[in-house]
Amino acid sequence: MKRTKSLAVVAGFAMVTLAACGGDGGGGNAGGNSPSEFINPESDFGKVADAEGPAPEVEGATTGGTITVAIPGDPGPEDLDPANGWSVLGNSIQQALTHRSLVQFRRDQETGAMELVPDLATDLGRPNEDFTEWTFTIKDVNWENGNPITAEEVKYGVERTFDSETFTSGPGQVYSVSNFDCGEGYTGPQDGDCPGITVDGQDITFAMQGPFPDMDFWSTFMAIGPIPLENSEFPAYGRMPLSSGPYKIKEFRVNESLTLEKNPEWDAASDPARHQYADEWVFKFDQDQEKTDQLLLSDSADAQTTVSNGLGATNVAALRDALGDNFIQQTGQCVSYRTPDYTKIDDINIRKAIAWAYDFENITLAGGNIPGVTRIPASTIMPPGMSGRKEYFPDTEQFVYDPEKSKALLAEAGAEGYKLTFVYDDSDAEAKAAAEQEKKGYENAGFTVEMIPYQEDAYALWDDAESPINAKLNLRSVNWCSDWPSASTMIPPLVESGQPYNTSYFSETEVDDRIKEIATLPLEDQAAAWGDLDELIGTKYFPMIPTAYRNDLFGAGSKIGGFTGDAAMSAIYYKDLFVIQ
Amino acid sequence: MSGKSPLAIAAGRLRRDKVAMVCLSIVIIFALIAIFASQIASLFNVTTQPGNPSQQLDFINDGMPLKGPPRNGFDPEHPFGIAPKTAKDNLASWLYGARTSMLIATSATVVASLVGIVLGLVSGFVGGAVDKVISFVIDLFLTLPFLLMALVIAPILNERFALTPDRYQTMQVVSLIGILAAFGWMGVARLVRGEVLSLREREFILSARVIGMPTTRIMVKELLPNLVAPIVVAISLMLPAFIAAEAGLAFLGVGITQGESWGQTILLASAYFELYPLYLWEPLLGIVVLVLALNLLGDAIRDAVDPKTRR
Repeated sequence: MKRTKSLAVVAGFAMVTLAACGGDGGGGNAGGNSPSEFINPESDFGKVADAEGPAPEVEGATTGGTITVAIPGDPGPEDLDPANGWSVLGNSIQQALTHRSLVQFRRDQETGAMELVPDLATDLGRPNEDFTEWTFTIKDVNWENGNPITAEEVKYGVERTFDSETFTSGPGQVYSVSNFDCGEGYTGPQDGDCPGITVDGQDITFAMQGPFPDMDFWSTFMAIGPIPLENSEFPAYGRMPLSSGPYKIKEFRVNESLTLEKNPEWDAASDPARHQYADEWVFKFDQDQEKTDQLLLSDSADAQTTVSNGLGATNVAALRDALGDNFIQQTGQCVSYRTPDYTKIDDINIRKAIAWAYDFENITLAGGNIPGVTRIPASTIMPPGMSGRKEYFPDTEQFVYDPEKSKALLAEAGAEGYKLTFVYDDSDAEAKAAAEQEKKGYENAGFTVEMIPYQEDAYALWDDAESPINAKLNLRSVNWCSDWPSASTMIPPLVESGQPYNTSYFSETEVDDRIKEIATLPLEDQAAAWGDLDELIGTKYFPMIPTAYRNDLFGAGSKIGGFTGDAAMSAIYYKDLFVIQ
Repeated sequence: MSGKSPLAIAAGRLRRDKVAMVCLSIVIIFALIAIFASQIASLFNVTTQPGNPSQQLDFINDGMPLKGPPRNGFDPEHPFGIAPKTAKDNLASWLYGARTSMLIATSATVVASLVGIVLGLVSGFVGGAVDKVISFVIDLFLTLPFLLMALVIAPILNERFALTPDRYQTMQVVSLIGILAAFGWMGVARLVRGEVLSLREREFILSARVIGMPTTRIMVKELLPNLVAPIVVAISLMLPAFIAAEAGLAFLGVGITQGESWGQTILLASAYFELYPLYLWEPLLGIVVLVLALNLLGDAIRDAVDPKTRR
């Protein structure tokens, strides 16, 4: 599910090469003896097309109570408009509790694996033979105001995401626009109907520009969900969108809190995955990390019903002991990259030199993460567990911090003292400390470094071609989580020419063509083809340096039950949570 | 007795005040630390460069240093220990933090008192429309919320100097001095203006006017010497207030972010109050001792120059 927002700047600087054997100073190594092993997320997500509501009861679940979710260090979504939903945090909350789309993920309580089950649709969609047309049938369910949800409203909801002016960075701009056959230059309902989306009663049919076998995965997004035809203008609608899930929005204060209450119109019999155990949910954004950790450790009355969306590195050992089963190390398909500007740093040896000069362990630690636990050294663009992933090393072996190797590569490129310019957030102590470590690492490896203090959203800066600051940079970064477990949600958004999160500005016809070609391959060959393309990009061009595979730590108080992680979203699995009465 | 000026008498009283003398020596020690921070740091062979956390910290367990406090005894390489996460030397941070603190507080005090004295003198002595305008400006600045202005200015500066990172650090210091001074001069100005109002009708001023002494000369040579006592008192109490304010702003993340600052260290260390209390105590004690010493010294000066308030 897209980039991870707060990580952009805070943690964005904290990753890169490996390190499993970096420490010779008496410390433990970060490899096999670390307290928690890196567990591969499920690579194959099951599909249960005939799953029906109500959802299986969670063992020991009781109703009532209020669940408080403390979210340290992340300001949360700017708005709740379904068309804009593309952050891990916002989607994990909205998709689980307030907004239904056509298809959803469910966690198998026995195995812990995630599986696709129907949501608003009666099944997972019915494709034609070559996946160029998908048909869904919408169930008879209601909005929170009692009005029925119609196929027309789903069509309107999808068309609305084509509006590139309003929803510039919504996921529809990537997946709907490039797949649905709405005609060249279609920009949403103001251009009239999209001819490729047809409605017949409660049936809705999507015609594709080409084969799109991942439509069922894409349909888990709120951007493939209903929007009321009236009173749904952005941005007003984004502040108080109508709910279709088990909870409706009581109050939303941007960057502060989101309060949800039960939605009486939600019909449990229509929903194979969600529950309505708690009476109320309170999400508190941008909480202090230390305060949240101490609250959980205190086990006070408040803390017992509190969930933390991120545990601090300082208190990991104590929290692990105190929380027991309610301490979760969730692996997800999330990767951090350092992206040298491909248009400026045009010598692959310099890019490799940067990779060898990235002091993974020190940067990770200074940034408040734990090497080998919350950050795993990375080598490939695709994260472990993604189908088709090929284990390879862009430069013969796993990158570790090796200033001598870096110097040698710089000498080979004739670029001793090459100047790297990047931004860091000097108002965030951890981000700053990590940046200082990174600078030290580069300087010891023969680079010169200029760090520009920048306190705004770094992604917005990197996307701004006019900005004089951006023009000065030659080293950026990006954190990316797959939208569903296919490399088609990983490689194209990061390396295709002109993509907003292609922050290295990489552009090679060979790669662009190959990306288009893979989509036309037989379904069973695609995964392996992505793996080969990953290796081609990494070894031939090396436009981005994978710095870390990311793990998250979640925790919950002693009176929270059903607490598990969501491997599909790399988030907390909110659908099963309840308060133990 | 006959040859002594009022200030000399006050200095004599101050010298007999033991508390004042102890505080004065503490302040002098801190001033020396601030001035010779880099020399002291190199004497102990410590720097503010980031350390090597992967080798100096036990990150597999709780992230505490492998050598030195809080788990082990004294580490001669790092007398104050090293910081968690960054493995930066605490002594170096502390020394340079003292320098930042003293530099900013002293400069802001000098600027604020100069502005306050000049405006107060002019306002009180000239009177009329000038007095009205200056009084209005004083009231205006008193209404502006200091914290809010500081919070507003920090991101503007960041934006403005993003392209010249080398000047950013200097500008942060300059602007912080500016903000502190801009919101600190009003007290002195009011005090001086009040004193001048009561002095200007006195005989020695009237006679100076009668013999045709120029206005500036009356102000500087006749009025100012009579104002030294209240000004010294005001300044001695302004200094600790600025030190506390500087640390407070750094704690909020809008003060000094480049370079070292006690406030910033306190912010970082507050996460470790249980695991590594020493890390928090170092900057905290620095601020408490310095501010307390300055405050007591200020009180003592006030008592010395104004015997009526003596305890």
